[in-house]
Amino acid sequence: MKAYAALIGLDLRLALRQRSVLFYNYLFPLIFFAVFAEVTHGDPSVEMAQIVVMVTILGVLNNGLVGAGMRAVQEREANILRRYKVTPITAAPLLVASTIVGWILFLPLVIFLFGLAHYRYGMPWPANLGEIFFFITLGIVAFRAIGMILAAVANSTQESQIMVQLIYLPMLLLSGATLPVAMFPHWLQVVGQFLPATHLVSGMQGMMLRQETLSMQKEAIAALAMTTAVGLFVSYKLFRWEKEEKIRASAKLWIGAVLLPFVALGAWRALFPGR
Amino acid sequence: MPEPAISVRALTKSYGAVEALRGIDFEIQPGEVFGLLGPNGAGKTTTVEILEGLRPRSGGEVAVLGFDPEKQKIQLKDRIGVCLQATNMSEKIRVREALHVFSSFYRRSVDTNALLRRLQLEDKCDAFYGTLSGGQKQRLALALALLNDPALLFLDEPTSGLDAQVRAEIHGLLEQLRGEKRTILLTTHYIEEAERLCDRVAILDQGRIIAMDTPRQLQRQSRAASTIVVTCDKAFPQDRPAWPEVVNSTVDETGRTLTVVSRRAAATLVELIKWIDQKGFELLDVHLKQPTLEDVFIELTGKRLRE
Repeated sequence: MKAYAALIGLDLRLALRQRSVLFYNYLFPLIFFAVFAEVTHGDPSVEMAQIVVMVTILGVLNNGLVGAGMRAVQEREANILRRYKVTPITAAPLLVASTIVGWILFLPLVIFLFGLAHYRYGMPWPANLGEIFFFITLGIVAFRAIGMILAAVANSTQESQIMVQLIYLPMLLLSGATLPVAMFPHWLQVVGQFLPATHLVSGMQGMMLRQETLSMQKEAIAALAMTTAVGLFVSYKLFRWEKEEKIRASAKLWIGAVLLPFVALGAWRALFPGR
Repeated sequence: MPEPAISVRALTKSYGAVEALRGIDFEIQPGEVFGLLGPNGAGKTTTVEILEGLRPRSGGEVAVLGFDPEKQKIQLKDRIGVCLQATNMSEKIRVREALHVFSSFYRRSVDTNALLRRLQLEDKCDAFYGTLSGGQKQRLALALALLNDPALLFLDEPTSGLDAQVRAEIHGLLEQLRGEKRTILLTTHYIEEAERLCDRVAILDQGRIIAMDTPRQLQRQSRAASTIVVTCDKAFPQDRPAWPEVVNSTVDETGRTLTVVSRRAAATLVELIKWIDQKGFELLDVHLKQPTLEDVFIELTGKRLRE
C-alpha cells in the first residue's frame, strides 16, 4: 500500500505542476461553460443543467482519453517508466494511481461547475447530487481505463494522438453531449448507442434534467463498471514499460474488448428501443 | 566457498534468427566488482537485463542472489540496485520526492537524508529533476540504486556521456561502494574505469565471452608488445643490434630518443641498457609502457571499446 499512496501523492503533485493539466482540466472547460452559459442565459429553451452536463462530459473525455492515455505514452517514450521497471512493483500501482489522481483532479471542476451554475446562473441544486457525483466518478474511472488501454496499444505519442481523436470526436459529436441526438437521422442515433459517452450523457441528463435516480441508470452503470474492470485488467496485461517493447497489431483488438459492454448495450437499445 | 552472487551457465538469447548470446558462463563472488566489456552489440546489455529480470532468456541457467530472475522477478528486484544506462524522470519531480517514492517500493530502505548527503545532493534535494546537471542526474540515479541497501548492484555504463571531471566524481563514489564490499556488475565503455574499479573483467564479443580474468592478468597474458623509450646524451647510431623479440625500433628527429617495441620487454631492456653502457652513452631517461587493457581488448576483438 505504501507504493500506491506514494504514487498517488507524486502523480497529483506532478499534475498540478503542469500548466497544460491545469489548462485542459480546469480553465478550458470553465471558459467553455462560461461562454455557453452567458450566451444561453435567459433563453427559456435551454436549461443550465444541460450545459453543465455538456461541459462535464467534455471534461470526462479530456481527463480520461488525453490525461490517462497520452500521458502514459509520453512517459514511456521519455524512458520514465523504464526506471520503475527495475523496482519490485508491478504495473498495478501505476495504473491505480493514475485512475485515482484523474478522479481527484476532476472533482474540483465538477464542484466549481455546479456552484457556478447554481449561484451565477440560478440552476436549482439537483435533488440527487450525491448520486450524480457517484455517476460522474464511475464515468471518470471508466474513461481513464479506456485511456490506459490506448496507452498500452499505441506505439508512439503520434499514434496515441490519432487514436484519441478517432475515439474522442465521435463521442463528443454523437453522444448527445454537444448536439441534440434528436437532430440526427435514425441510423446515426443507433450508431451513437454504441458509444460509451452516450450512456454517460443520457444517464447524467436523466439525473440532472428529469430528476431520475441512480437506480434508473442500471444499464449505464453496469456498462461503465464493466469497462472499468476490463479496461484496468487489459491495460495491466498489456502494460509496456519501454518504447522498445513493441506490441502485436492484434493486441489493438483489446480496445474492442473494453468497448464490448457498450456494443452489447447499444445492440440491446437498438433492438428494443422502448425498454 | 560462499555461494556466488551471480551464477550463469550456458546462457543463450535469440531475437528471431539473431543470436545475441551464444552460451556464456561466469560466476561473480560476493563482494566482487565484475566488469563486462565489449563493443556495441556484443551482448552486454542483453546479459545484464536478463540478470536483472527485465528480459527472458532463451536457454541456460541463471541464479542471481539465489533467485531465478525470470521466475522470481519481484523478490530479486527487492534485493538488487540498478543504475540504468538510459533512463529519465519527470522534469518536475524534486530530488527528495523521487527518493521518497522509489523507497516506498522496497521492503527495506535506507535513510534518504543520509543518502542525499553521501551522494552530495543535499543542497539539491528540493530541486526539480529538469534543473539538474548531467552529473547530478547520474548521482541521483546512483542514489535510487542504493535506496534499498542492495546486496548486488548493476551499473550499466554509469559514466557514459559525462565529462571527465564528473566521471572522476562518480569513480570516487564507485570506489567507496567497492570499499564497502558490495557485489557490483559494471558494464562500461571506458577501459580505464574497468582497470581502476574491477576485480575481474569478462570481454564479450558477438555473444561469447572471449576472455575473463583480472585486468592485470589479462594484460600479462596479452601477446601485445611493450614499448621501451630511452633517451641518452648522444645520438643513437643507425646500425643497432637485432635484440631478441623486438618488433620494431625507431629514433626520433633529435636522434637521442630510441623507441623499442618488444614482446619480452624485461629481456630487451637488459640487453638495451648493456648496449648503451658499451657505447659509452649516458642514460638520461627510461620509460616502459606495458600493454593496457585497451590493447588486450583490441587484440582480442579487433575493435576499440568505444567503436
